[in-house]
Amino acid sequence: MPRYGIAVDTTKCIGCHACRVACQNQNELDFNQTFNSIAEVERGKFPSYAKEFAPLQCNHCEDAPCQRVCPTGAIYTTPEGVVYVHRNRCVGCKYCIEACPYKVRIVDHHKGIVIKCWLCIDLIREGKEPACVTTCPNQVRIFGDLDDPNSRISRFIAEHRAQPLRPDLNTRPKIFYKRS
Amino acid sequence: MPEGAWGWLIISYLFLAGAGAGAFVAAVACDLLAPDWSKALARAGSLAAGPLVAIGTACLVLDLEAGLWEPWRQMFLVSNPTSMISWGVVILSVFIPVALLYAAALNNISFVGQYLQKYVWHLEVIGTPLAIATAIYTGILIAVVNGVPFWNTPMMPVLFLASAISTGLAVAMIGAALIDITTIRTLSNFALGHVIFLTFEGIVLMLLFFMSLTRSGEAATSAQILISGMLSPYFWALVVVLGILVPFALSVVEYYEYGEMPKHLVVGADLCVLIGGMSLRALIIFSGSPPQILT
Repeated sequence: MPRYGIAVDTTKCIGCHACRVACQNQNELDFNQTFNSIAEVERGKFPSYAKEFAPLQCNHCEDAPCQRVCPTGAIYTTPEGVVYVHRNRCVGCKYCIEACPYKVRIVDHHKGIVIKCWLCIDLIREGKEPACVTTCPNQVRIFGDLDDPNSRISRFIAEHRAQPLRPDLNTRPKIFYKRS
Repeated sequence: MPEGAWGWLIISYLFLAGAGAGAFVAAVACDLLAPDWSKALARAGSLAAGPLVAIGTACLVLDLEAGLWEPWRQMFLVSNPTSMISWGVVILSVFIPVALLYAAALNNISFVGQYLQKYVWHLEVIGTPLAIATAIYTGILIAVVNGVPFWNTPMMPVLFLASAISTGLAVAMIGAALIDITTIRTLSNFALGHVIFLTFEGIVLMLLFFMSLTRSGEAATSAQILISGMLSPYFWALVVVLGILVPFALSVVEYYEYGEMPKHLVVGADLCVLIGGMSLRALIIFSGSPPQILT
C-alpha cells in the first residue's frame, strides 16, 4: 500500500488562496471554514526583508496526537496513511483540537463533529490528486507516495532536504516543507 | 490571548469535579478524625460531593455536539484506552454512585442510607481513591495535551489535586456552617487543612511558573500572559490574592482563635478559596498557547 504525503515548496507560494477555495468547494465547507489556511511569516530587517506564505493543513502524522487522545476511537489511520475522522463515531468533545500541535482541526457545527483535511481520499482512490494540489497555479504542492523512492515527491524531498514542520514534536508528519 | 476549543463548560467541569472530589475527601477526613459531637462537616461534604461531580459531568456532556444530539454515540466514549477522557468516563461513572451512596449512608437518607450504615467504612475505602483519581484526572486531562506546551507538564495534576482538596474543603465547610452553625469549632480545626493545602497549592503554582518560564518558548508565553500579560490582573487579583493569600491569612487566624472568629469571616475565607479555584482553572485554560509552528 502506498503511503501518501504532500511536499510544499513555500518559495513558490504567492498566497493566492486558490487551494483554500478549491478545498472549500471540494468538501462543501462554509465560507469561514477551511481545511487549509495560508500562514504569513515576515522576517528580516530592511533592506533584506522577506515574506513567506506557508500553506498549512492536516499533517497526517504517523504518531498522531489527535488519534491518541480521541476517546471514541473515531480517529484512525487509513491504509493509505490518511488520518481520518469517522463521522458516525465522533461525539464532538474537541479534545483532538486541543491535542493537535498544528491547530488545523475545525468543528462542523451542522453535524456536530470535528473535521479536517482528509487528503481528498475519495479522489485519491479514483487515482486522482487532492483538490489543493491540482488547483495550485504555481504547483506549490507535490502529491505522491513517500514509500516509492522514485516518485516525484520523494525525489523532491531528497533533493531539497524538505522537512516537516516542527519535527521535534515527534509526531512524524507526512507533509514536508521546502522553505527559504 | 490564544483561542482554544474549550470554554466555560469545560472550566466549570474541571472546577466542579475537583471541588466534589475534594469535598468527599474532606468528608472522609472529618468522619475519621473529628469527635462524635461534630460531624456536620462530614455530612455537608458527603452531601455536596456526588451532586457537584454529577453537575460537572453534565457540563462535560453539554459541551459535546454530536454526542449530545445523538446520545447513543456516548457509548463509544470508553473505546480508546490511550485517551484520558475514556479513563475519566470510567472513573466518574463509578465515583458518582459511590459518592451518592456515601451521602445517603452518612445522612441516613431513606432505607438505602439505613441499610448502608454498616458499610460506611467500606464506602470510604472505595470512595477515597476514586475521589483522588477524579481530582488528579482533571489535571491529567489537560497535562497529556502536547498541543498546548504550558499544560503538558506533570506539575498540572499535582496542582489540580491541591486545588481540588482546598476547594472541596471549602465546600464542606460552607455546607457545615449552613447545616449547623454551632459547629464553628470543628471548622476552626479544619482551617488547618486550608493552611496546609493552600501552602501546597501556592508552592506548586510557583514551581509551575518557574518551570514554564524556562521549559519552552510557548510555555513561557502562556506563563507570561498570566504573570505580566493580558490576563495578569485576573491572575494576581483572583488566584494569588483572593484565592490563596486572603484565605490563608484568615485560616491561620481562625485556627489560633479556636472557635472565636466571626462566622462571616469563616465562610468568607471559604468563598475566596472557591473563587480562586474556579479562576485558576479558567486562567490555565484561557492562557494555553499552541506550539509555534512556523519559526
